[in-house]
Amino acid sequence: MGLFENSEKFEEVLGGFFRQLAETPQIADKLLKSNLIIRFNYTDPDLVIVVDCSGDKIDVRPHDTETKATVEMSMTADIAHKFWFGKVNLTKALTRKEMVAKGPIPKILKLLPAIKPSYAMYPKYLEENGYSQYNIH
Amino acid sequence: MGGYAGQILYVDLSSGTVEKKPLDMAFARKHIGGLGLGARIYFDLIKDSPDIDALSEDNPFVLMTGPITGFKLDGAARWTIATKSPLTGVWGDSNIGGFFGARLKFAGYDGIVITGRAQKPSYLFINNDTVELRDAEAYWGKDIYETDRAMVSELKSETGRTGTVFCIGPAGENLIRYASIINSKRHAAGRAGMGAVWGSKNLKAIYVNGTGKVEAADPGKLAEIKEELKAVYEESIFIDALRASGTPAHIDVGSLAGDIPIKNWQMNEWEAIDDIGPSEIEDKIHAGHKTCYGCSVACKKEAEIKDGPYRIAKGPSPEYETVATFGSMCLNANIESIAKANDLCNRYGMDTITCGSTIAFAIECFENGLINESDTEGIELRWGDADAIVAMTEKIGKKEGFGAILAEGSAAAAEKIGGNAKDYLTTIKGMEAPMHDPRSAHGYALAYAVSPRGACHEASLDFNVEGGSQMIPEIDELSADYEEFSSEGRAQLNVACQDYGMFFSCCAIFCNLGAVPLSATQAISIVNAITGFDYTLDEVLQAGRRLWYLKRGLSNLFGARAEDDRVPERLMTELEDGPTAGSLPDIERMRSEFYEIRGINDDGIPRAKVLEKEGLGDLAAILNRA
Repeated sequence: MGLFENSEKFEEVLGGFFRQLAETPQIADKLLKSNLIIRFNYTDPDLVIVVDCSGDKIDVRPHDTETKATVEMSMTADIAHKFWFGKVNLTKALTRKEMVAKGPIPKILKLLPAIKPSYAMYPKYLEENGYSQYNIH
Repeated sequence: MGGYAGQILYVDLSSGTVEKKPLDMAFARKHIGGLGLGARIYFDLIKDSPDIDALSEDNPFVLMTGPITGFKLDGAARWTIATKSPLTGVWGDSNIGGFFGARLKFAGYDGIVITGRAQKPSYLFINNDTVELRDAEAYWGKDIYETDRAMVSELKSETGRTGTVFCIGPAGENLIRYASIINSKRHAAGRAGMGAVWGSKNLKAIYVNGTGKVEAADPGKLAEIKEELKAVYEESIFIDALRASGTPAHIDVGSLAGDIPIKNWQMNEWEAIDDIGPSEIEDKIHAGHKTCYGCSVACKKEAEIKDGPYRIAKGPSPEYETVATFGSMCLNANIESIAKANDLCNRYGMDTITCGSTIAFAIECFENGLINESDTEGIELRWGDADAIVAMTEKIGKKEGFGAILAEGSAAAAEKIGGNAKDYLTTIKGMEAPMHDPRSAHGYALAYAVSPRGACHEASLDFNVEGGSQMIPEIDELSADYEEFSSEGRAQLNVACQDYGMFFSCCAIFCNLGAVPLSATQAISIVNAITGFDYTLDEVLQAGRRLWYLKRGLSNLFGARAEDDRVPERLMTELEDGPTAGSLPDIERMRSEFYEIRGINDDGIPRAKVLEKEGLGDLAAILNRA
């Protein structure tokens, strides 16, 4: 079993963080420019979250398996968690299929500079929202 | 048998004679191709009198394709060159893409061995069976783009086709220590000063037109493998990223990992890094895609800047290494100026890694008062000053004023500048480190330290494997999971990366970018299908290992010792902030373990019995004598 006890907890933690990113103009504005609809497919525990950047505001929709996504990202919850600390060797993770990305690669790559500030935000978010037990030190 | 053209050209520039000799198939089988053949031929030419100056007529130059060069396969267009380096004074080699290697095979030749020195500027003309040395006075002094254009145009009526030119520019002619040789304007033999060797020989160019074909021994099997690889390539995000953005795609992931050196290796993060990343490149300078022979990855990009101070005609776009050396290393966030510096380096024919790194070094010297405007003819070398960086690049290309000092490379420049200039150096065996920080992946430190040609991330597959782009499931060390920011296991990893890497990159000559998705089984199957040989993994590893020891021994023969297998202080300084904060490679431990595994003595020389075991008894005898 991974770091997160169950899907509900993982959804609470990561969904909450995605909502915070959606409310952070420094990140949200750039994501909205991409116009992407990204579906994250997590395992261990299982969770699907859609981050929809195609409208006027970013919409975070857990359990959305219906919307046609432009990008599908698949990984375990632990890899996702590590990623938001900026601690995943992305090249290795993609080569070894620890992360699988499907969709327009140039657009996916453009997301990386956009989300960079989030790596400093995630540990603070965990501390401030009562999730310090998940912090990687 | 297939794959090989079956002949090698021997060109003696001193006498002006050209000989065609058959390629011995037993020799080819044993050494496979590329540097496997080239380093062996080179060694046999100099072993009786190894004490040669790199810029003398006694320094041979060996150009060699591999058995897969010339086949329409992704990542299979490359070929190699080998000689003594005028920058480092030890072994020098280079690995180049483009179309030249394929055309040489189509003309009927696997390689070219060049000896002596021409009395006046010359070029080698190859048009299928016709091979002759010709007067190059009309081209001497022209930059690389001008030379390429002129030769292709002027010789087309004679050959009936558009040929391919491999040439030096003014940098090579003027013996700049890191002069390059470039084919088709964009495919460079960049490192170690290969161009200066040609300049010293009065050799301006090789022009080739070839209308023959290469044949595979088992075309059905080759077709089967290509079909199998379609799905592999479709799934590879690494290949997709290369197709989309070329090597600068690495800026986005490298900055996350702390892999990109900033401000002459003093930092590992920079708020302006995205200003020189693939998104900015696409928005501001991107003008198209190009490729090497037979490769659909098309990782080469074009750039164009139509107006402004950094205007450039449509041409090669800067690769990642160039973006980093003229960009992050100099705190220069102006992508247009980086493209201009790249254009200058391509035209003059200079290695962008050494040039940009040497300028970064000079900026630090200027900042610390070791040099000033009176030394630099009024150019204020400051961090982020794009105009100054471009201006100094041109002065280096012209070998003019302070540019002439920097044209010797940063190590030699540090000697001239004096004071504590050496504190700012990032060289190993005299060659400036490439743009991948060992503090982000400790094995890089060892890879750079023991690379036979000086600091190099392509001298083995360590950058690919430890960096994460390549995994070889058949070899434990090349598929294991390594703890990050650790030096544990990196010696064994480096050995495996060298043994397999010498086969992969240097003998078969697969591309370290375009062929990255291949497993060892697939790579060997391709070579076997093409040649008709039946290599096993053990056999190719043996060939790779033998080549590594030969290159190592050649560097030893040219004077390299254990004290040269060290990493400069600047790369071994722990950073307080950023993605690699607190990370420091344990180079002493890694080198000690590496020496143990490789059977290298305290002097840095492989032990005789180890060399003999690899079939290098003659090398052992000479090294022991020395």
